[in-house]
Amino acid sequence: MRRRLADPSDRVLGVLLLSPAFLLLGGIVVYPVIRLIGLSLTDLDLSSGLPGRFVGIVNYVGLWSDPTFRQTLLTTAILTVVTVPGGMLAGLGLALLANLAYRRKWPVRLALLMPWAMPLAFTGLIFAWFFNGEYGVVNDILRRIGLPQRIWFNSIFWSFFAISLTIIWKSSSFVALVLLAGLQAIPKELYEAAAIDGAGRWRQFRAVTLPLLRPAIAVALIFRTITALQTFDIPFTMTKGGPGSATETLAMYVYQSTVDDLALGRGAAIAIVLALISLVMSVVYMRQIRAAA
Amino acid sequence: MPALRAGLIRVIVASFLLVNGLFPALWILLTSLKTTIELRRTPITWLPAHPTLENYVHAFTQQPLPLFLLNSVIVACFSTLLTLFVAALAAYALVRLEMPVRGLILGFIIAVSTFPLVTLLVPLFEILRSLDLLNSYPALIFPYAVLSLPVCTLVLMTYFETIPADLEHAAMVDGCTRFGALRRIVMPLAAPGVFTAGILAFVNSWDEFLLALSFNSDPRFRTLPVGITLYQGQFTFPWPEISAALVVGIVPIAILIVVFQERVVSGLTTGGLKG
Repeated sequence: MRRRLADPSDRVLGVLLLSPAFLLLGGIVVYPVIRLIGLSLTDLDLSSGLPGRFVGIVNYVGLWSDPTFRQTLLTTAILTVVTVPGGMLAGLGLALLANLAYRRKWPVRLALLMPWAMPLAFTGLIFAWFFNGEYGVVNDILRRIGLPQRIWFNSIFWSFFAISLTIIWKSSSFVALVLLAGLQAIPKELYEAAAIDGAGRWRQFRAVTLPLLRPAIAVALIFRTITALQTFDIPFTMTKGGPGSATETLAMYVYQSTVDDLALGRGAAIAIVLALISLVMSVVYMRQIRAAA
Repeated sequence: MPALRAGLIRVIVASFLLVNGLFPALWILLTSLKTTIELRRTPITWLPAHPTLENYVHAFTQQPLPLFLLNSVIVACFSTLLTLFVAALAAYALVRLEMPVRGLILGFIIAVSTFPLVTLLVPLFEILRSLDLLNSYPALIFPYAVLSLPVCTLVLMTYFETIPADLEHAAMVDGCTRFGALRRIVMPLAAPGVFTAGILAFVNSWDEFLLALSFNSDPRFRTLPVGITLYQGQFTFPWPEISAALVVGIVPIAILIVVFQERVVSGLTTGGLKG
């Protein structure tokens, strides 16, 4: 059975079939990115009504001494460092628990799919309601077990705590689904062989599960890191960046600069810095994975 | 009694997974069924004392929920159709045709379409503004089609690979054109794949928030997540209406994943990725 069709007109047909994809990507990504680079080198501010002038790297230099940029960069870094490992570990835990031999598979599968399918903005709103100081279920549980209740969103620390927990809850189910598929692909014989060699549960996990799960972990890790760097929906719906601007992320600063302030030059420069950080992170991960393989 | 103990552990673990996954949705459902008075009482109740649908009535009549729902449906349906069309043609070409740079083209499509959305926000905002397309459906439909392009292309490629090329040869010998063979033979056989890809694309569009908030902030064009987030109460954040509106927004997605859960999981794990 031949998989491909050999035909001299394939070139033409190929171009024809691929052209919608290239048109779409050209119009929505490639051309805008070129425009973005140009924008970042101008002082375009739509609220002033003046056309943008070329100012070179002034916007980038300005970011260096911009306290809001430093603040949002730090917030994004903290959320990434906390929620990426947190979501990965929680996801691994969920995947291991979901991989037990259940008689019916669908309830557990549904329990993993629900957080994945829940819109991020909805998740933020629901968890904001959970952590509501007066009517929140979290405070109600604390009251019942006799622990002190808090006004969560008045404190910087507890706002970070609530946001991080929400992101970890939301992201762990996707990680779990990816890792579960990886777990189910591991042949049972390997565990049997390991058991015959006298390996206990923990040893089996270290020697069989983790190494074979490595590709799935790598995929989930890259994806999670890149989405964590773009965190927007959950802090926006939970705290609007508060208290003050303590939980405002880089993505929220891009949004504020562009849509609220209409300062497109500055917004473009922040957006490019953000894209570069994502790019560097993906390259670093790719290298690690290649080196390990 | 090791078997009994193992069974008990499974029940406990499964209950934990269910509570973890379903409690937030369940809690917002319970909240939505409580009366406004009950929602202002402390300590709070867990189960609604007098279950009522008044919050739903308010959400549909005092807030423009039907409009937001309609906007979300329009944007999600059109972007899903667009991305399926584009991805199906590309996936077919990548699987079936002799191309010297196949890997490079696939890599390009995936790398470009996973470019950070936040970064695209700035130039797209400027372009849409200059074209007077802020607050319109196309402002979201085209970017959302890009958002789902990598997943859909990968899912469709795996399905196309399972269809023997000889079937198409036979159809073409019988006088079908290449395009006719694609439409009459390949697409029907790949229907499950098209369906899976379509569900993933629909969920992606339904969930997207940042671009919808940035481009379509006019109340007439708000999608559901944006509309609900920006609900205004007279004095405070209107939790009763919000909870009812959230349930309305979650139900379509919940139905999709309950009915098509196996497909969604297989699509997610073969096709890759989504936030």
